[in-house]
Amino acid sequence: MKIDYSIEAPAIEGRLSIAQIEALIAKPLDSKPDKKFLLALSVSGSALALGAICVLMTFYFGIGLWGNNQPVGWGFDIVNFVFWVGIGHAGTLISAILFLLRQKWRTGIARFAEAMTIFAVMTAGLFPALHTGRPWLDGYLLPYPNQHGLWVNFTSPLLWDVFAVSTYFTVSLVFWYVGLIPDFASLRDRTTSKLKKTIYSIFSLGWRHSHRNWQHYEKAYMLLAGFATPLVLSVHTIVSFDFAVSIMPGWHATIFPPYFVAGAIFSGFAMVVTVLIFVRKIFDLEHIITVNHLEKMNKVILATGMMVGYAYAMEFFIAWYSGNPIEQFVFINRAFGPYYWAYWIMVSCNVLFPQLFWVRKFRRNIPLMFVVSIFVNIGMWFERFVITVTSLHRDFLPSSWGYYTPTLYDIGILIGSFGLFFTLVILFTKALPVVSIAEIKAVADGAQPTHHEEGGSH
Amino acid sequence: MNNHQENQSLPDSNYWKSFEELYRDQKAISESHREFKEGVTDEFDPDKNLSGISRRKFLALLGASAAFAGAGCSDYPDKGAIIPYNKKPEEVVPGKANYYASTCAGCSSACGILIKTREGRPIKVDGNPDHPVSRGKICSQGQASILNLYDPSRLQDPMVYKDGFWNKETWSKVDKDIAGILKTAQGKEIVILGRKITSPTFKKVLDEFKAKYPSANVYSYEIFGDSIRSSAWSKCYPGTAYPSIKWDAARTIVSFEGDFLGVDGNKVEQSRMFAKNRDVNDPKNFNRLYVIEGKLSLTGSNADHRIKLSVAEQYELLLAFVNELSANSAVSSRMKPALKSLAASYSLKNIASKYGIDYKILQAMVKDLTANQGRSLIYGGVALSESAHIIINGLNDALGNTALYNAPGVEQFQMAAVNEIASLVGRMKQGSVHSVINVDCNPVYEFPADLKVAEAFKKVEFVISLSEFSNETTAVSKIVLPINHGFESWGDHQTRQGFYSLQQPVIAPLYNTRQREAVLLNLLSENPSTYSSDIYHKYLKSNWQLNIYPGINSAFGFEKYWLGVLHDGVALTSAASSGNYSISDQSFAGLESTIKLNGYLMMLNESPHLSDGRFAHNGWLQELPHPVTKVTWDNYASVSYQTSLKLGVKTNDLVEVNASGTKLNLPVVVQPGMADNVISVELGYGRSNSHIVADGVGFNANQFLSSKYTYSPFVITNVSVSKVPGKYSVVSTQDHHSFDDDLIKDIHKKREIIREGTVAQYIKNPDFIHGEGKKEHVNMYEDHQYDNVKWGMAIDLNKCIGCGDCTVACNVENNIPVVGKDQVERGRDMLWIRIDRYYSGTPDDPKVSFQPMLCQHCDQAPCENVCPVVATTHSPDGLNQMVYNRCVGTRYCSNNCPYKVRRFNYYNFRDNFAEGHYLGTSLELLHNPEVTVRSRGVMEKCTFCIQRISDARAEAIKDGVALTGDEVKTACQEACATNAIKFGSVNNKNSELYKYRNHSLGYHVLEELNTRPNVTYVAKLKNTFSEEA
Repeated sequence: MKIDYSIEAPAIEGRLSIAQIEALIAKPLDSKPDKKFLLALSVSGSALALGAICVLMTFYFGIGLWGNNQPVGWGFDIVNFVFWVGIGHAGTLISAILFLLRQKWRTGIARFAEAMTIFAVMTAGLFPALHTGRPWLDGYLLPYPNQHGLWVNFTSPLLWDVFAVSTYFTVSLVFWYVGLIPDFASLRDRTTSKLKKTIYSIFSLGWRHSHRNWQHYEKAYMLLAGFATPLVLSVHTIVSFDFAVSIMPGWHATIFPPYFVAGAIFSGFAMVVTVLIFVRKIFDLEHIITVNHLEKMNKVILATGMMVGYAYAMEFFIAWYSGNPIEQFVFINRAFGPYYWAYWIMVSCNVLFPQLFWVRKFRRNIPLMFVVSIFVNIGMWFERFVITVTSLHRDFLPSSWGYYTPTLYDIGILIGSFGLFFTLVILFTKALPVVSIAEIKAVADGAQPTHHEEGGSH
Repeated sequence: MNNHQENQSLPDSNYWKSFEELYRDQKAISESHREFKEGVTDEFDPDKNLSGISRRKFLALLGASAAFAGAGCSDYPDKGAIIPYNKKPEEVVPGKANYYASTCAGCSSACGILIKTREGRPIKVDGNPDHPVSRGKICSQGQASILNLYDPSRLQDPMVYKDGFWNKETWSKVDKDIAGILKTAQGKEIVILGRKITSPTFKKVLDEFKAKYPSANVYSYEIFGDSIRSSAWSKCYPGTAYPSIKWDAARTIVSFEGDFLGVDGNKVEQSRMFAKNRDVNDPKNFNRLYVIEGKLSLTGSNADHRIKLSVAEQYELLLAFVNELSANSAVSSRMKPALKSLAASYSLKNIASKYGIDYKILQAMVKDLTANQGRSLIYGGVALSESAHIIINGLNDALGNTALYNAPGVEQFQMAAVNEIASLVGRMKQGSVHSVINVDCNPVYEFPADLKVAEAFKKVEFVISLSEFSNETTAVSKIVLPINHGFESWGDHQTRQGFYSLQQPVIAPLYNTRQREAVLLNLLSENPSTYSSDIYHKYLKSNWQLNIYPGINSAFGFEKYWLGVLHDGVALTSAASSGNYSISDQSFAGLESTIKLNGYLMMLNESPHLSDGRFAHNGWLQELPHPVTKVTWDNYASVSYQTSLKLGVKTNDLVEVNASGTKLNLPVVVQPGMADNVISVELGYGRSNSHIVADGVGFNANQFLSSKYTYSPFVITNVSVSKVPGKYSVVSTQDHHSFDDDLIKDIHKKREIIREGTVAQYIKNPDFIHGEGKKEHVNMYEDHQYDNVKWGMAIDLNKCIGCGDCTVACNVENNIPVVGKDQVERGRDMLWIRIDRYYSGTPDDPKVSFQPMLCQHCDQAPCENVCPVVATTHSPDGLNQMVYNRCVGTRYCSNNCPYKVRRFNYYNFRDNFAEGHYLGTSLELLHNPEVTVRSRGVMEKCTFCIQRISDARAEAIKDGVALTGDEVKTACQEACATNAIKFGSVNNKNSELYKYRNHSLGYHVLEELNTRPNVTYVAKLKNTFSEEA
């Protein structure tokens, strides 16, 4: 198939009119929940309830219910945390960095990806709070003035985490909300329900679609994109410091920040692809979230997957090159020790399967990309498992080596975290426009002046 | 007016408040620029003239004194929780510990102990330093026995079994009933069963009992009562009481299946004496230990040369030694001809090739033994047959080693031999026994299983049991009488010539119990229903006054003397005459010149922690890892690697052991260093009717004990073993690592965690363990200066035998909870000091290394900088501290600790273990009040016994002297029988610690991480023979 690279592929397909776009996107908000919606919600809600029960049991009895032990002080708790923070990386990357890079194709997916970011960070944020032995004292992690003269330890990466994740969450939320303001106004204008009108009016902050409104909006959005961009890189850098700053072989590595950021974008994109495949189908958004968009995301998956693969290889190389026998042992043990299966799941899912995306046909094949994105999600979860658990279970003194086996509570909380995430995603699809109406209108055919005679429809 | 300087003295025409201001007094102006008056912001110093006190200070003091006055003078409202002494007991100062000397009643060793009490509660046990045997040390069982005192599952009231139910009864009723029962005996036998009796006064009670009830007979029996050793002794020398040994005088020790560092005899004394000659400052006088054994014991693990050989084959080796040693003229001249002729056909060379033993080692043994005549020792373990013991006696005699024997021991009551017990049980079955009184013993569990004593008890009219805990025997008794713990009892003990040990109570009985002696004594009175609690106390005192005191020649009157010996815990009598031993030729008559044992051999061993099962009801001991296998909460069948291949089993597989019809399924532990075709099982497990801690833990291998044995009671021959389907989880605190994985093999040596050498290497080059000079590690930051005391520890691995006594002492001192088998399996044991055990070499000939591992209190502690809430910090005296209140439990510190010594409270372990067993209110009394009881979700670890440091510091401040560091002894250090642990200030150049810390053999574990630990290990030297070869 020949591609004419001189012509930009349209961001929106199907020559939808402005009104059609608005109606299409607003449709789920105008209609009552259908059976499919309730079914999906009940599945995710059940998972959430299961997780909630496990969490409450943990509160009551203590984290002894989990599989954590001495040597392996961190298990599923931290694995899940890093996993979900990673998932939360695609949204801001798409909405902020791609915005700054003027990638028009981002418009179809930005809103949804951003929402996923927020929900993923919310899910992730639970784990540091839950994983402590005495969660009712988590407030100690905040530097607040008190009469005991107690202060937090600013040399501890865990404290950096607190700031990094909360900052990221706040900025993402504000960024998301600012993007929503024009849409709230459109919805306000559309709706006939009084209640909805009141709510939309409040959230639209008096938006009048005026030029002045748009001028301010564009500036604010640009500024926030500028704010959010460094955060995309900093959050997972700091999460990686949780490991890199320690002295444990397998954790103490300078490659960790870029390795973690690449992995986060990798897993985040995979999760966005997984979800969008369904969303575009269910909400008839195939024209707005096109196969072209998915293909572009698959290219990012391929690229970041290669980076992650490079990092895996480099870790081994450095272990050998350092001449440190304990470091060498940890990596050999990773690949061939008791947790070899986790390592090879990680390598095959993250490095081998994404190679399929070299082929254009595969990049545009929806069932295949679904399978690969699921594999990437699994692989990236295992990457965190491998890093966290296999490094700890056999460290310096052979006398204290052990083995970590998760319990049903660990698995229940993992399922519950997916339940929470998807419940929020499902509620989102019915509560807010899953695609930015205003931005789509801006990139629709004919919205922008063009010099091509054939290009636009006037 | 423009220039202030010039117009200084002119009046200000503007507003003015004072004359100083009006006339522009320079001082007033400058003062007006300051917010506060001088002195107001100064630190408060009461030494300064108080009239100079600021207004704020004054108000603060006023408020404080009003508050004090208010709190002090008002009627203190809380009448519930805190009860101040209305009349303060003279000897109790709140917050100050009292120490009482007593005697441990745990086993028949009767060691002197010093019990620490706080506000009347015993909280810690250590050895009595004035006691000639204990010398300030006590074994793990003695340490842990305090848990039994407060155990909520102790028997608390007399119980009577009637119509299928157990009913609580009053003492006066049961006393009357029992007296009535005994009267009905009418000449039929009344049997008193007991364990070994070491008390002369209790013997007197029993004698009086026999006088009142002429048909009464007393039998004392223990599984590990060393009956074979004493019967062998009686065939060689007069009497059955074999002497204790001067282990510290032995330069060469050859042990046949003996575990004198682990379970045999008085292990505390033996290990102290053994380790005395393992002093790195005197390397030329190291003793040399050869061990020949079929299992891998703690003693074998500490051997310089170890030969694995099953007991059956040891007999031949023993005879070969006889023959080989008789080649030496001096030995030959002393050796009895009967012994020589017995061994005439054996040669070491043949034995070596027959059993694949390194002949060079055997030659070295012969060389050492002949070179050290009169200064060497051959020792036989309890598993050896009588013949083997007789030959060993003969060999020691021929080598002149009887010089190492002390005077014969003191035996109050001759132990019953197995055949006596068998005939007793036979009489019970015939119905000719009227009643049985079990005095603090458990015959149903302990008697040879083939006697079926539980069935025999059914034929006895009355079975009465005196016991602290319910057990297998109380289950088949009619009346169960609860007895005092040793800490609630009076007593006296004599096990050796030259001294008595006194036992005094340190707490009133917690429950409605009486001490066992008092129960019997009360039955002798005319009216048993009237009992006075000091009955035995008075009896003991009068017995001493009338019978013992007169023979002592004390310069004091009796009352004064009595209080004096109670204070000391020891009454010294005239020094023991040293023994004069000559063996007779007759001793060797009728000894077999060869033995043949067929099939698999099963060895039944005493458990190093539970002994014969009497300590099974003690969570600390159950959870204390086995010194060699590191298994907790179980017994198991140990087999060699080769045997496991033959049987097709791995660790945790089940095998069926069949000894002439008695079958038992046991889990397998593949134990490196075992002799092939030998199965080694420990006794003391598989208890029943013994309450929550002991019930169902492990397997009851006592059922293999038989009154009819071919070799010795602890060696079961002709056993068949086969794999059966199923798995069982044997839980250990340390993984079993494979020997054949090159990645893991000897990794502790590659990582220089264990550094070892030989005495010869050390003498040649004292710095040999550091290779090419000590590596200097650079630091990015300036080192913190510790000008005063800085705490440090040194552990001499030459002296550490790996017994684990320090662990129990730490548990007791630091309120460390029992977590149970399921949590140990998850890797959540809470031990602050653990003994790491490493194997190197091959599975057939492993070298064992021990290393106590505890918080290293690193100068640059990796745990400290990762804690987000500053819950673990460094103190100005070099301690790595845990602030429990601040800890939220992120566990990052534990992850980042390279030594993995931090312990996390995954649960509230006090209510987690076995349905909250340790939440019993009585157990709260056990806690050391100086140590926080940690809650769930908190990290903890070794504190270097900071409560003791604080105490010493308070004392030093009170006395106005500087702390030198020598004042503090940590709990582990205090408990270490071999004095392997040194503690003190690293800045004190005169301290023992300083010497060891800077010793040429000293090293830090994981030095290359530059964490700068403050625990120094002194590398172990093996005294191998090759130096002379």
